[in-house]
Amino acid sequence: MPELEQQLSALAAEIDWPATPNLAPAVRSALPASGEVAREARRRGGPVGTTFGRRWALAAAAVIIALAALVAYQPSREAIASWVNVHLFVQRVHVVPTPSPLPAGPLGERLGLGSQTTLADAQKQVSWHVMVPSKLGEPDEVYLQLPPDGAVKGEVTLVYAMRPGIPVAGETGVSVLVTEATGAIDANFFGKMLGPGTTFEEVTVAGHRGYWIAGSPHQFFFIDASGKFRSETLRLATNTLLMDWGGTVVRIEGKLTKAQAMEIAASLR
Amino acid sequence: MEGRPEEDSQLFTRAQRGDTAAYEEIVQRYQQVAFRTAYVITGSAADAEEAAQDGFVKAYRALGSFRSGAEPKPWLLKIVANEARNRVRSAGRRHHLELRLVERFRPGDAAPSPEAETVAAEDTRRLLDLVNGLSDEDRLVITSRYLLELSGEETAAALGIPEGTVKSRLSRALARLRATLGEVSHA
Repeated sequence: MPELEQQLSALAAEIDWPATPNLAPAVRSALPASGEVAREARRRGGPVGTTFGRRWALAAAAVIIALAALVAYQPSREAIASWVNVHLFVQRVHVVPTPSPLPAGPLGERLGLGSQTTLADAQKQVSWHVMVPSKLGEPDEVYLQLPPDGAVKGEVTLVYAMRPGIPVAGETGVSVLVTEATGAIDANFFGKMLGPGTTFEEVTVAGHRGYWIAGSPHQFFFIDASGKFRSETLRLATNTLLMDWGGTVVRIEGKLTKAQAMEIAASLR
Repeated sequence: MEGRPEEDSQLFTRAQRGDTAAYEEIVQRYQQVAFRTAYVITGSAADAEEAAQDGFVKAYRALGSFRSGAEPKPWLLKIVANEARNRVRSAGRRHHLELRLVERFRPGDAAPSPEAETVAAEDTRRLLDLVNGLSDEDRLVITSRYLLELSGEETAAALGIPEGTVKSRLSRALARLRATLGEVSHA
């Protein structure tokens, strides 16, 4: 080993690390009831990506993951994922994990959308064309989420703080979110994962297939190109239009009417 | 008579069946490396504690994705490190990480020591100062690999980058550190 590497290795023993806290009691008290994980593991037999944080604990506990339908559906998730880049699943939940009301900081940052960037920079870092809805104009903020936190080929979110005629979502202070990632929607799986009471309607905008989901908060699942299960919250907990835009999955969230959402989608350029 | 410590694989199998005591044992085994990894990323012991704690809870919920026979350390570190990075992102800033040496190497040590030992101590202090002064990217990879003593796979998991990128990043970081060290020595 060269000298510098040896010196660095020797340095390891000399570091005054902060004392490691005993995490076990706190972790144990935060674990779900015994048996829940085992049941999920048996049902799932594969990865899951749920969001967990202390502030979100109550909400996350209410997210009952209906993965049985997926596992029951043959062939396997890996094979399914190989058909297209991304499949989407939407599930109604009782309590949607939302950030604390209006904490300080940029709009998108507190929604966990990734790193703030500019439209031009985001475009440089992803392989697909990032579309902007001319109906809403230039976004107030742009965020980029790259792997491992984001989807395999990245995810770009356009944040619109306020727009005329569109109410601001109370807890987040955001009017509209437009999120884009490369992938596709498969209706065969999409419909199977919906909870009862969710309004779900197939729509077409400019020749592109999409789904209008209204009335309830949603948890959003998909398998990315690597076969990994991903879980995301539809962050505004409001109506959502999901579009399969020729290889790009676009989701438009906000307190929008169906007509408004479709108008926004139609103006994507 | 105490029995042999249970293998990780046995603990994970039990935990996957919902045995929280087994999972608690896993937490005990890996909390130090998890906490230190989170500390290196966040630069804050408080944030590191929260990240490690939430990471372990999240990992428990994702136990179904843990493949039997796989190495648990990279799997756990990936989850904990993601939590740590999320905290840095949501805070909008990273605390400046400044690693320190254990007491015996601090300047002003009153205990008499042989000259050679004093010189060695000074070299160690200077090297750590240089590591502390590296860019975030260089410091993270060097600290993970050498000071946390993570393997290439574990470093990749902790930093959320491919193992090949760890190698190239490490090589560049060492070259820069070596150059800086040379400049300091000749100053």
